[in-house]
Amino acid sequence: MRRRMRGVAVAAIALTSVMTMAACAKDSGGGSNTSNNGSGAACEYATPPTAPATSNTSAAAGDKVDGSALKVGLAYDIGGRGDASFNDSAAAGLDKAITDMGIKKENTRELSAAPNEDEAAKQTRLRQLASEGFNPIIGVGFAYAESMKLVAAEFPNVKFGLVDSAVDGATNVTPLLFAEQEGSFLAGVIAAYQSKKCHVGFVGGVEIPLIQKFEAGYFQGAKAAAPKIEIEKKYITPAGDFTGFQDAPKGQEAAKGQIDKGADVIYQAAGASGKGIFSAAKQAGVLAIGVDSDQYNQATVADTKDVIVSSMLKRVDVAVYDYIRAVAKNDLASLPKVFDLKVNGVGYATSGGKIDAKLQGILEGYKAQIIEGKITVKDKP
Amino acid sequence: MITTMEEKPHVPAAPRRKKFPGWAVGMISVAGAVALLSVTSYMTNFPQLTSSGTTQTAVRLMLPILLAGLGGLWAERAGVVNIGLEGMMIMGTWGAAWAGYQWGPWAALVSAVVFGALGGLLHAIATVTFGVNHIVSGVAINLLGAGLTKYLSTLVFFPLSHNPRQSPPVQPFDTYSAAGFADWLGELESGQRLFISDVAGILRGLVTGVSPLTMLTILLVPLSYYLLWRTRFGLRLRSVGENPHAADSLGVKVYFHKYVAVIVSGGLAGLGGAALVLNPGQLSYLEGQTGGRGFIGLAAMIFGNWRPGGLLGGAALFGYADGLQLRSGGDTVLALVYGVVILLGVIVVYQLIKRKWFSAAAAIVVAVLLYLLYISLDEIPGEFVSYAPHMVTLAVLAVASQRLRMPAADGVVYRRG
Repeated sequence: MRRRMRGVAVAAIALTSVMTMAACAKDSGGGSNTSNNGSGAACEYATPPTAPATSNTSAAAGDKVDGSALKVGLAYDIGGRGDASFNDSAAAGLDKAITDMGIKKENTRELSAAPNEDEAAKQTRLRQLASEGFNPIIGVGFAYAESMKLVAAEFPNVKFGLVDSAVDGATNVTPLLFAEQEGSFLAGVIAAYQSKKCHVGFVGGVEIPLIQKFEAGYFQGAKAAAPKIEIEKKYITPAGDFTGFQDAPKGQEAAKGQIDKGADVIYQAAGASGKGIFSAAKQAGVLAIGVDSDQYNQATVADTKDVIVSSMLKRVDVAVYDYIRAVAKNDLASLPKVFDLKVNGVGYATSGGKIDAKLQGILEGYKAQIIEGKITVKDKP
Repeated sequence: MITTMEEKPHVPAAPRRKKFPGWAVGMISVAGAVALLSVTSYMTNFPQLTSSGTTQTAVRLMLPILLAGLGGLWAERAGVVNIGLEGMMIMGTWGAAWAGYQWGPWAALVSAVVFGALGGLLHAIATVTFGVNHIVSGVAINLLGAGLTKYLSTLVFFPLSHNPRQSPPVQPFDTYSAAGFADWLGELESGQRLFISDVAGILRGLVTGVSPLTMLTILLVPLSYYLLWRTRFGLRLRSVGENPHAADSLGVKVYFHKYVAVIVSGGLAGLGGAALVLNPGQLSYLEGQTGGRGFIGLAAMIFGNWRPGGLLGGAALFGYADGLQLRSGGDTVLALVYGVVILLGVIVVYQLIKRKWFSAAAAIVVAVLLYLLYISLDEIPGEFVSYAPHMVTLAVLAVASQRLRMPAADGVVYRRG
């Protein structure tokens, strides 16, 4: 009996300590930010820079280039021509080159990657193009970086272009890089001016350096336009787990979470998961900003296009076209190191009519400042 | 919750081990979980732990996992390990999209079940008739599901959607809400009173925006229980999974029951695929959209000790933890760590009453470590947050693994003698 008493006593002491511990939660926690809806007031905006009187953005040198002797090979990433995104954009650049420079259609070859294929398949694809005499060969997407490093060394006389990545030490590989952070900066400005509650959000697909460039630019842009703005951010999956680019249900929940916290403009850089973010915005009656291509006109998200204010454009078509043109002129040095705002490598879309003349003036002002170097946009958060 | 614990010492330990029937244990666990979350959300000031939005998210993310898990349950209860759930689910997504864009959501459900069941039939032929190793056949079906749908979608969807990886949009289900009731719960929820608001938040999440598929899925849990544990057919099916030789000697058709179980298993996994396609955020087939949910479903089933109720709990845990990290991020998941500390505290009290000093000491150590973690961090790093559900499962499996019992002849190839 005494043993039992002791056991109960110990239990009682433990119980008390549980109670005490239960009282020792942090007070710093979530606070009352659930019922934020409606409490957020309109933004106080920083004075926007004035738009330049005439924006002469690199008036394309109109001299005719003859590319009829070129044999152009394109190696797409997963999806290939018809993905309504990245690869299609590259294909558009090739199509423009065909019509403008007199490249013969039969002298071009397009090959496409399979999901989860191994390195060897990519190498074989590039090697096949190179040994059939295609020159230049363009690899669309950073997935080709490793295989191009090997294959380019085997074919030193063939010119390679690589979208979204660089290969160290290979002189015949031209990197076609983009300043996504600069375009995202403008997306941040758009979000700040479109937000009614001065509270915006960012949903990234996978937390890799490429997508962090989008985040960094967006945050900086939104803060530049409205210093006191609140910004939510969420990556669907961490680095290494690439399902974040194709999980629309999870994208939807991430966006819903931000909307419930009070965000009313969401910028997505989440690939095929972006569909879920648009859907969440539509259900909640808020706005969203698309990415890569002009998503307002994209068929796969047509049912939610009325929420898409704008899209951050990444002009893979411009890069591919310029690269082919530079090869035809035999003047690769003329290519920009990075396709940025200055050369229209990135930008914003105005389809849908939600960006009025006033906002466009503000955007052109920021754009001019970035081009002049008065604003440096960070590429890391 | 604590009061129920304190009744324990009066119970003699050995003879009557099963004090409560299964449903009562389930009810008590649910009440305990709600109470725990409620206390945690009150103490840490994170109302989103029990908000209606979080609950809705959890339910939506739970559905495919639950259906895959039910599929696993059916197959494994008949003694066939089904690691091919993922592949059957992928076939289900394709089937759902193919019928869905033409004839609407109900046709999508039927077609998904048929496609998944075809995958199940294949698995049954390989494992039951030809005696192929269950794991080998399952892996083959995963590969086949991915490859076949890729071929079919290039063939069928590409001309329509101009994208070989995606189908044309599918029509969604209408969703239903208990309007007046939900509004009243909404008022209660915004009151932020301990327990009442939390229960109201969770209930409100459960009664707003419910699609017919959600209702059907939830109903499939008790239905599976009824069929497998309360009918003659179910008894025979389970006997095949426990000891096929004995079942055979008593005249049970072993092959027939295995076939039925694995085909139903495939159909349920296919339905899980339909739940993904018909999710309001997706509404189309997309290559790779299952993202390993078939495997998670299998994990939820093991978590649930090969029982429908436990499986529901496991799937809900995955849905909840995943939903919480997607919606709120690291600081909220950290609040959940605090909840685990309280839970461990309760376990310590329970172990002390039962005089299990060693387990109590172990629980105290873990609790103190977690509490230090909770106090020292402001938020859990993103890399960990994404895998919070997986870690919770690991922890639970580590603690409960001795008490898990799989069907005795699970994974054993049976040859009729």
